[in-house]
Amino acid sequence: MKKRGRGIACMWYPIGFTVAANPSAAVVKVNEDGTAIVLTGTVETGQGSLTVLGQIAAEELGIAPDDVHVVSADTDTTPMDTGAIASRTTYVTGNAVRFAAAKAKELLFQVAAPMLGVKPEQLEARDRRIQVKNYPQRNIGIGEAAHQAQFAMGQPALGSASFNPATVALDPETGQGKPFATYVYATQIADVDVDDETGEVQVLRVVASHDCGVAINPMLVEGQIEGGISMGVGFALHEEMLFDTSGRQLNPNLTNYIMPTSLDMPEIEIDIVKNFEPTGPFGAKGVGEPTAVPTAAAIMNAVYDAVGARVYSLPATSEKVLAAINAAKTKQLPTPRQKRIAAR
Amino acid sequence: MEKQKSAMTGKSKPVRTRKAIVVGRPLEVAETARLNAITQQCNGPSETLAPKVRQQTPAVGQRAPRPDGRLHGLGETKYIDDMSFPGMLYCKIKRAGIASALIRRIDTREAEAMPGVMAIITGKDIPVNSFGPSIADQPVLAFERVFHAGDGVAAVAAVTEQIALDALEMIKVEYEALPAVFDPAEAMKDGAPKVHPPSSNIYASRLIKKGDVQKGFRDSYRIFENTYSTQMVEHVPIEPHCSIAAWDSNGRLTIHSTLGRITLGRTDIARTLQLPINRIRLVATIVGGNFGGKNEITQEPALAVLSRRTGRPVKGTFTRTEEFTATTTRHPVVMRYKTGVSKEGKILARKVHLVLDGGAYCSWSETTLGKACILSPGPYNIDNVHSEAFVVYTNKTMTGAMRGFGAPQVCFAYESQMDEIAEALNIDPLEIRMRNAFTEGSSSPTGQVLHSVVVRESLVQAAERYGWKEARK
Repeated sequence: MKKRGRGIACMWYPIGFTVAANPSAAVVKVNEDGTAIVLTGTVETGQGSLTVLGQIAAEELGIAPDDVHVVSADTDTTPMDTGAIASRTTYVTGNAVRFAAAKAKELLFQVAAPMLGVKPEQLEARDRRIQVKNYPQRNIGIGEAAHQAQFAMGQPALGSASFNPATVALDPETGQGKPFATYVYATQIADVDVDDETGEVQVLRVVASHDCGVAINPMLVEGQIEGGISMGVGFALHEEMLFDTSGRQLNPNLTNYIMPTSLDMPEIEIDIVKNFEPTGPFGAKGVGEPTAVPTAAAIMNAVYDAVGARVYSLPATSEKVLAAINAAKTKQLPTPRQKRIAAR
Repeated sequence: MEKQKSAMTGKSKPVRTRKAIVVGRPLEVAETARLNAITQQCNGPSETLAPKVRQQTPAVGQRAPRPDGRLHGLGETKYIDDMSFPGMLYCKIKRAGIASALIRRIDTREAEAMPGVMAIITGKDIPVNSFGPSIADQPVLAFERVFHAGDGVAAVAAVTEQIALDALEMIKVEYEALPAVFDPAEAMKDGAPKVHPPSSNIYASRLIKKGDVQKGFRDSYRIFENTYSTQMVEHVPIEPHCSIAAWDSNGRLTIHSTLGRITLGRTDIARTLQLPINRIRLVATIVGGNFGGKNEITQEPALAVLSRRTGRPVKGTFTRTEEFTATTTRHPVVMRYKTGVSKEGKILARKVHLVLDGGAYCSWSETTLGKACILSPGPYNIDNVHSEAFVVYTNKTMTGAMRGFGAPQVCFAYESQMDEIAEALNIDPLEIRMRNAFTEGSSSPTGQVLHSVVVRESLVQAAERYGWKEARK
């Protein structure tokens, strides 16, 4: 018989490397028509990082995402980057891109200030225009300023910058220190069905509430969360590399190494927690890895809630779940669900 | 007008009409119509892909579609394995298939004599045959000693993949089997076979101490103790590891690679080949799935040496089996948790003991160890913490960076135990987390004052979305 259960798990996860320097550098070039090119040494790994970096540059320059082209992944042309690791791209590379764009913008402001009859610090860049703060009617197009900078002043608008998260080394005796600049937080709640005759677990629904600071692109954050949950489902229930007694792998193929498919995926409901990280680019932190962190824990708590049997080693295969159910039956303890119902 | 309407209502009828119209048109027109139809499908019906979102300001906060999305959708994205160069050769690597052994002899003569085989190299042909992000304990090709069954012992460059595969069969390797150890608990014992003699099998450890756990346990109303463990898993990217190495006449090396971290990969390649960094160009495109598995070099120095020998570009693409046997994986961890709580469910002390199975090489184990140790007490205010973590060599596939760096493992442990505590004290699982969770200004296990902390907010938001407090059948 199928038994329904629910489980909750929360987590924390850091952004960037543990104390070790993990810098990113970036170059932003504003073209003479007001569009821009970003150079970054990170590599797109399918998560949409280049889109996010483009949006960050666009925000700083007051232009639109489509006005920015991001060049990446060529050591001959792009600057140093620690890469897409440790959930660091939005925070670390994002900051580098933002600061590089700010430098290019500064040059544009120096050109635009005399044209508008004000000082550079009185200017802001918005909606593809450079305008006087609190007096937006007084403005010039960013393309006009960029053209002027390059062809009249002979000073093309470009900037480069780097960023490295602020950390403090850990004390070797006590481990006390500041290993990371910032952390993100999340909660996931899973609904499962457990067949108490076969031990089979089906994940029906996962509610995921994740902090990433300000979401530079909420759609990409949602994509990360869905992908992370799929990895979490595999980690909880299916995936395991097996070795024989002489250390050779038994299942190095996708026939016998069982990954979740779309048929195993639960319904996913996502919330992005409202937050602002002052040290991040426009308040952003990151979201890549943490999405895969609490899923297995939530699923396993839901399995316990359903059948009153806890599995202490992952993956919770049907065999392990069934063995745990049988062990719990001999103790004849009520499940948490039965207790809740009894309490009402 | 009708198109816009359909975009608003989300109906897909106009797309079908368009498909019907293009039948029999000249190719160019048909192609344009096809692309328009696809574009319309991509941009039209979905609310989340509002048209022209990429043209709007301000840029931050927008659900801007990815510029690479269209290329993926149309099959235009070029991955490394899609690339080919004139005269390109194919590399295959002979894997040891034995977990711990001395290599007595490698005989490549018969394989070298095969038509179509252009070059064969072994570990002695790699100028500096070691690499690794923190401990350089991994050979590009195992030489003299094999540390796990997935070790490469020879690399072949041939005119076709099939010839290269056939040549692997003709390479004769004589091994002298050595004692091996596969269980980290065994590997930690005195007298266990050493994976990298004379080094100890425990190759890194981390300790986090805060407050006084013994006092915390003494003050506790109840103490909970359990052991949790997790398994070894693979990243399983859809795109396997692939690189192409080629030299120009000035002695400059270009490598197209699926590597996710090109600037640091270039440093490793420069070191193994003893080349100045400015003579190496590393080019990536879009990585077809990384998850931590493409964070360091694998076969690249071998491809470069084969390319140098033959004067031709050399491509190596891992098989799915090699993805499992010859690349990094997620650390299995055995986690002992002892937690003391007050009657109200407030955590007073937590002692954690972690043993990570490091596999045959260090790779990113030190990072994983550190993060697992620091994060192991969970996102909770605990005055007394003692967390100790060890990572141990075994003669198995190396473990390394993988999405979460030890965090999914410890989260499974601390959150399982949280529910065990909640049940024993008859406290709702949500409530016990709310009572203990970090808040703005909380002190982490390493004594760091935390900012922009929203763990409680995420708990409340998820519970509300789920309907946690509402009565259920």
